[in-house]
Amino acid sequence: MTPSPSVVRTELNAAMAAAAPGISAANELCLACVGLFGIDGAAVSVVYEGASWGTFGASSESSRRLDEYQFTFGEGPCLDAVKAREMVLIPDLDAPLEQRWPAFAGAVLDDGIRGVFAFPIMLTSACVGALDLFRAGPGPLDRDQLAGALLAAELAPRPLLDLIAAGGDAELDEQGAGEGSAQLAEMDRIEVYQATGMLIAQLDVDAAEALVRLRAHAIATGQTASEVALAIVERRLVLDRDDRDGDPGGRGRSLR
Amino acid sequence: MTESRERDIIRAFVDLSNELVDDYDVVEMLSNLTMACAELLNVASAGLLLADKQGNLHLMASTSERTHHLEVFQLQREEGPCLDCYADGEPVIVPDLAAEEERWPQFCPAAEAAGFRSVHALPMRLRETLLGTLGLFGEATGRLGDDDLALAQALVHVASVAIVNEKSATDLATVNSQLQHALTSRVVLEQAKGVIAHTGGIEMQDAFAVLRRYARDHGRRLSDVASQVVSRELSGQTLLEHAGSATIGP
Repeated sequence: MTPSPSVVRTELNAAMAAAAPGISAANELCLACVGLFGIDGAAVSVVYEGASWGTFGASSESSRRLDEYQFTFGEGPCLDAVKAREMVLIPDLDAPLEQRWPAFAGAVLDDGIRGVFAFPIMLTSACVGALDLFRAGPGPLDRDQLAGALLAAELAPRPLLDLIAAGGDAELDEQGAGEGSAQLAEMDRIEVYQATGMLIAQLDVDAAEALVRLRAHAIATGQTASEVALAIVERRLVLDRDDRDGDPGGRGRSLR
Repeated sequence: MTESRERDIIRAFVDLSNELVDDYDVVEMLSNLTMACAELLNVASAGLLLADKQGNLHLMASTSERTHHLEVFQLQREEGPCLDCYADGEPVIVPDLAAEEERWPQFCPAAEAAGFRSVHALPMRLRETLLGTLGLFGEATGRLGDDDLALAQALVHVASVAIVNEKSATDLATVNSQLQHALTSRVVLEQAKGVIAHTGGIEMQDAFAVLRRYARDHGRRLSDVASQVVSRELSGQTLLEHAGSATIGP
């Protein structure tokens, strides 16, 4: 049985926090999805323009291969989910009426997978990738699994942000591990929550987006999230409102 | 014991027990407890840290919004008397911080820079499970009397039981989920303070007063009001207008 959303959130966050940022964190997120939702595989794809397209993190090598079929064949539920910015749920790829992705479906079915479920990963207003869940048996996700998957897709921008901030350098987890881990811990602080609240009011965004914006600015300017948060709380820094496209780091105006 | 102090102590327990009768708000309860301990024991500042299930300490409530104070509390995720208290489950008493710089090379200088000279850290526990710790920070050196410590520990015990408010909470998973609930409520409260502070162009502690006033005057839980402010179902402007002409205390 899938645990409650708050437990899922905690578990997913813990899984990522324990890993080096970038690919390792994405792998751990996928592994946690498999364990929490009782499915057979999970992968995170990236389709952000600034980064290399492809499979980013996966719960296992076989899941990675499943996910990569979409890039091999140029078709699949993940790509459609990104395009439509909506989840694409395929309870049974082998169903007679399911004809959308013949090449992808053939390869995935040969690997013993019947169910594929793709969830878009949003970063500010941009769709930067998808979370794909795989299941050997046919059948829909139940309500709790669906809620959990949506939550996982909501948290997935974190490892993706690392990748995007590194200019698509997928070897980030080898290079910037220490610094990145420290930065994740830096997010969990009173001043960061307070600054997030100020951004909610100022930018008219929800809490998740405000947090992503704060963190993106920190990475873009080489500061910790705590430093940026303090500057915002002490009103030394105002993040610009209209930096939504192509610049997740955002431009900030220093007031001092 | 003077009569007025006895009255204060009785009031603190009565307030705490009254809060627990109804559908109380864990963030507000812990915030009141922290304030009560600091006042009753006459310490400069108090901070209550709760542990998540990885054992990381999070600042749950504090008597001060000052950046330096917050930093001293939060630093103890890595080292300090509160972390040691949480690790061992025993009170940690530091009458003179200057004498312990080898033990806590980061914490001691930061605490001293914030004006603190002594620390008493008390464990919060529910049966065998450690939940967190209450840190009492003094501006003078010296240790609190045994009676004072026993009083603080008693208040902390009541709060420990109250954090885990389900009678059936005997298993660790339920305790963890209640702790997580408390920690999440705290995050939302801080975010709501940020919304109010920005909307009204006011300081964080005043933003807290605005939130609390609105919640009290409308008979609502502080966490619920905070949550609606963060989700933008309730506008910050509405709360500020409610506080309006009334004087907002520090």
